[in-house]
Amino acid sequence: MSPLRAFERRVAVALEWGTWAACAAILTGLVWPAGHLLVTAGIALFIALPVLRVAGMVVEFVRIRDLRMGAVAALVLAILALAIVLNLQTNRGGG
Amino acid sequence: MADLRPATTNGSANVDKSKNAGEIVPTGADRTASAATGRICARRTAEAARACGRVRYVAARNAFTRLMAPLFTLYLFATSLVASAIGGALGMAGGILVVPILTASGIPMRTAVAASLVSVIACSCASAAPLLRRRLTNIRLAIVLELATTLGALTGVFVAGLLPASFLSLLFAAILLLSARQMLARRLAPIGGSPAASRGLAKALALDASYPEPETGTEVAYVVHRIPLAMGLMYAAGLVSALLGIGSGVLKIPAMDSALRLPLKVSSATSNFMIGVTAAASAGAYFARGEIVPGIAGPVALGSVVGALLGARLLIAVSSERVRGGFVVVLVLLATQMALQAFGLGIAGAGGVR
Repeated sequence: MSPLRAFERRVAVALEWGTWAACAAILTGLVWPAGHLLVTAGIALFIALPVLRVAGMVVEFVRIRDLRMGAVAALVLAILALAIVLNLQTNRGGG
Repeated sequence: MADLRPATTNGSANVDKSKNAGEIVPTGADRTASAATGRICARRTAEAARACGRVRYVAARNAFTRLMAPLFTLYLFATSLVASAIGGALGMAGGILVVPILTASGIPMRTAVAASLVSVIACSCASAAPLLRRRLTNIRLAIVLELATTLGALTGVFVAGLLPASFLSLLFAAILLLSARQMLARRLAPIGGSPAASRGLAKALALDASYPEPETGTEVAYVVHRIPLAMGLMYAAGLVSALLGIGSGVLKIPAMDSALRLPLKVSSATSNFMIGVTAAASAGAYFARGEIVPGIAGPVALGSVVGALLGARLLIAVSSERVRGGFVVVLVLLATQMALQAFGLGIAGAGGVR
């Protein structure tokens, strides 16, 4: 019925795979003595998953010509980007 | 710093060396010395306690990188697993237990908050798929409310740098007590959600929807009420989430139940779906600042995911009143611990140096 049904299923699959991949990376990184970077990569993937989900929603809403919702999703994505970019700057500036 | 001196009079050269350990990073050899300093200054003034936090943090980091590493990792994994499983079994996020446990283990507030945020995202992602497949999540409503929660989180990340850790501990204690109260009071199904005419934003964005009742399989239509009020509450929830590293279910549940008047199953699923994005806003900021310590956040996230999956299985087994009562006692105890920490005191656990 809803045009979003197929999209919801794809999001479910993506989140499931993403969770497993991130968990696997963190576990490998913790068990393997030289795997410190893998732990960081796993954490980065966990943080990226919801961001990618929002990006997917922007694309999907534009695709089904629901431009109002597309704008809302794009705004959320912009806030997420702002949170990261603003703090990268403070990191560099603050030393 | 001056307060430390009387306590370390005639002290060994070791203790002398780490006297101003707050400023310098002691090497592994000084670990025991800073541990001693940590134990002494736990009983000192608030200023000394802050320095103590730094010393304990350095001690924790050294412990991780050296031979203690596997044990400390295992400890973090196991405690987050248990916290997340208990939280999950009682239908609430485990994040609220993770931060007090981490700070009681000698990890400073900000590091604990950043680690907990990662585990909050992990739990949200891990439990989202089945809820999406059962069509309980209203993703249109979620993205609209995420506008407010991410803005709140963005504010929170900047405010967090200005607030003293003691204030955050006190705020955490207050949230724990609020959760205890919510645990005692049963959540009531919102009344009067009759599918009448929807107005305003809900209509403009077509947020009303329906979901299949899991037991009967019948389609239940529902109307979304009072979006602006809910957005205000969600902004507060996002702010608190970024400050304290929790999912802020305590603040989201009133917004979902009394403002939006959603069916319980829809509000739980939608709230869980939103938590990931809210926490990603603040966790992304902490990550960009380099404030996420992988050695702590990694095992905590892993333990939380396993715990959440276990907790969901246990949900039916342990929903008795007695377990709820026990949990309320735990929440009150943790609130006391956090409040004591705010004043630089802390019970045995807080003094424990790692």
